[in-house]
Amino acid sequence: MDIKALSDVELSNTEASHGSSPCEASLLVRNDEVFIRMTPIERMQHIGLIICFVLLVLTGLPLLLDPAMWLKKLFFFETSFAWRGWIHRIAGVGLISLSVFHLFYISCTQRGRDLFWALTPKLKDVTDALESFGYNLGATRWLYEKGMLRRFFDRYPYWLFPQPPQYGRFNFIEKFEYLAVWWGNVVMIASGFFLWATNLSFRLFPLWVYDIFKIIHSYEAILAFLAIIIWHLYNVHLTPGVFPMSRVWLDGTITGRDLRAHHPLEYEAILEARRLATSVRENSEAQRKGGQMGEAGPRDRKS
Amino acid sequence: MTGVRVLEALLLLVLPVRSLSANDPNEQCLMCHEDQSLKNQAGRSLFVNKGSFEQSIHGKSGISCVSCHSALESVKDFPHAETLAKVNCASCHEQPQKKFDSSVHAVARVGKEAQAVTCVSCHGYHDVLESKDVHSKTHPLNQPQTCGSCHLSRVNGKKGQGFVKDFLQSTHGIALSKTGLANSATCASCHGSHEVKRTADPAAPISRSHVPNTCGQCHAGILKDYAEGVHGQDFVKGVRDVPVCTDCHGEHQILTPQDKQSKVYSTQVALTCAKCHDNEDLIRKYNLPEKRLRTFQGSFHGLASAYGETKVANCASCHGFHNIRPSSDPNSPINPAHLPQTCSQCHAGAGEKLSQVKIHILDPKAANYAGYMIQKAYFVLITLMIGSFVVYILADLKTRFRQRSRKV
Repeated sequence: MDIKALSDVELSNTEASHGSSPCEASLLVRNDEVFIRMTPIERMQHIGLIICFVLLVLTGLPLLLDPAMWLKKLFFFETSFAWRGWIHRIAGVGLISLSVFHLFYISCTQRGRDLFWALTPKLKDVTDALESFGYNLGATRWLYEKGMLRRFFDRYPYWLFPQPPQYGRFNFIEKFEYLAVWWGNVVMIASGFFLWATNLSFRLFPLWVYDIFKIIHSYEAILAFLAIIIWHLYNVHLTPGVFPMSRVWLDGTITGRDLRAHHPLEYEAILEARRLATSVRENSEAQRKGGQMGEAGPRDRKS
Repeated sequence: MTGVRVLEALLLLVLPVRSLSANDPNEQCLMCHEDQSLKNQAGRSLFVNKGSFEQSIHGKSGISCVSCHSALESVKDFPHAETLAKVNCASCHEQPQKKFDSSVHAVARVGKEAQAVTCVSCHGYHDVLESKDVHSKTHPLNQPQTCGSCHLSRVNGKKGQGFVKDFLQSTHGIALSKTGLANSATCASCHGSHEVKRTADPAAPISRSHVPNTCGQCHAGILKDYAEGVHGQDFVKGVRDVPVCTDCHGEHQILTPQDKQSKVYSTQVALTCAKCHDNEDLIRKYNLPEKRLRTFQGSFHGLASAYGETKVANCASCHGFHNIRPSSDPNSPINPAHLPQTCSQCHAGAGEKLSQVKIHILDPKAANYAGYMIQKAYFVLITLMIGSFVVYILADLKTRFRQRSRKV
């Protein structure tokens, strides 16, 4: 039943440039077939997060920098500092609402529950990270080629990282980022709440606890900001092959070809489901007359 | 008016001159000096406005031309000599002249002009009015213009020229010019009038040792507060390093505390206090607590203030201003007994707890060890995490570029 795609040569190039090993193409999933990766409601959550995050960073980060810098010029009218505070709080409320909505989404919808489970880091993600880094670095292969530690590597060829790991629906980078959003949101919302309710905090805690909230809120903000501009923006914007931007967050779709290149395990799962469906149908049709090949329709197939 | 003039001219032709002068001692002088075109050889106008002279304090009190131009008393032949002895105001105004002679104006020079300032510079000539008269050049409302006629451009040195300009924009100047308050401070209120002296002169009302009392002439309540505070008490003892009014408020350019340009505007207060309290020499000399400014700027109050927020606490919010007292003083707002109340001015209900902690923390590690450790932990975490990101990205880029070049 499996026939190799004609564009296999071209495909293997794309795969190589994305650092994930290829799996075999199948006619059951066309290269230009479109799969939904993010539904409109998920994209809206992502856009909402972008807006809140940018506003929070813009109105919060200046506080961590030296006011003597040019930044001070942004606060050029008398009530600008108060405005800064209110925009920050409004964006904070936006982030809280978004988090509550997301909690609802991942607990009350089937797709949400599936996504949450798919995004939960597993042991494989730890080894994926190690293997991906080891493969990219290529240091062990270099040592091997130079004839160093040969006995060790002959015995444990795993450490040569000859192939990049294969990813499923979400790779370790995406899972890590999702985890980071969770961690960051919990920390920032909790500490931010007590910083907002200054006088309540003063009544509840000694001042040093409040100061700790301040420290946590500041450093967590720096961490989140750096993580986003370095890690996230590299992975979805600047990576060669993705540059200038992955369009998933806008149109929410991924092609069969990209699926095979970036998420081979997910691709294979879809393929397997279709093979099964096809063979079942073929069997039943053969029982009737035998002949036509029907179209398989997995849950998230668009057209 | 013209009709009267014509009539007078006709009368003059008919009547003998001497008989007129007997009725009005000035008439004889005005016969010639009422002519608007009358000039001396140098081209200077010799016209005397009869109307304004009669309205002047001298005219009203019946002082005649020759009372001042006494050199003419004995002159019988007219027209008289062109150059006469200068009018000597001191012949009547002995006291003011004495004061003037001790003033800085008595020796003031402008260019090569030997005596730049005389009585007439400020009081005018024939139209001298009582200083109570709102039209008088020496009335409080008009003093800035009168003094400004020299002190805006003629005086030597750029700094001196700015004084009147600064004053006109100050709250005192605006009170005069916009609000029309004649009792607002004007030039003479602080500098004195005839006896104007330099700041360095200990007798000057604007000398360091007299400033509080000079300002206190009007701001009596503040003088009282100042005298109760630590600055005022040291001032009375003769310590001259303590701030006087002008050190915080400025001199000519005094603005209200609500004015953004003011040195005592809420976001500027810390910098104004820091002029002394961040001065190493003064800190050592008087054993003042260190790093008050830096510890304030490091706090949220200081940070928000630096960004222009006016609601946060500045030095004065906790320490008071005119009557600043040390924390050991039972009346001080930062005395332990008063701290809860002081903090709760802004932090309602939290004063009691806040009053137990230290402000102006010199050593954050000792003050909040847990916070310090969390800070360090975050520093390590951020370094490690961002470091790993960067290393991973570099390795990733290396593979991608190598594969790309292989493809090409």
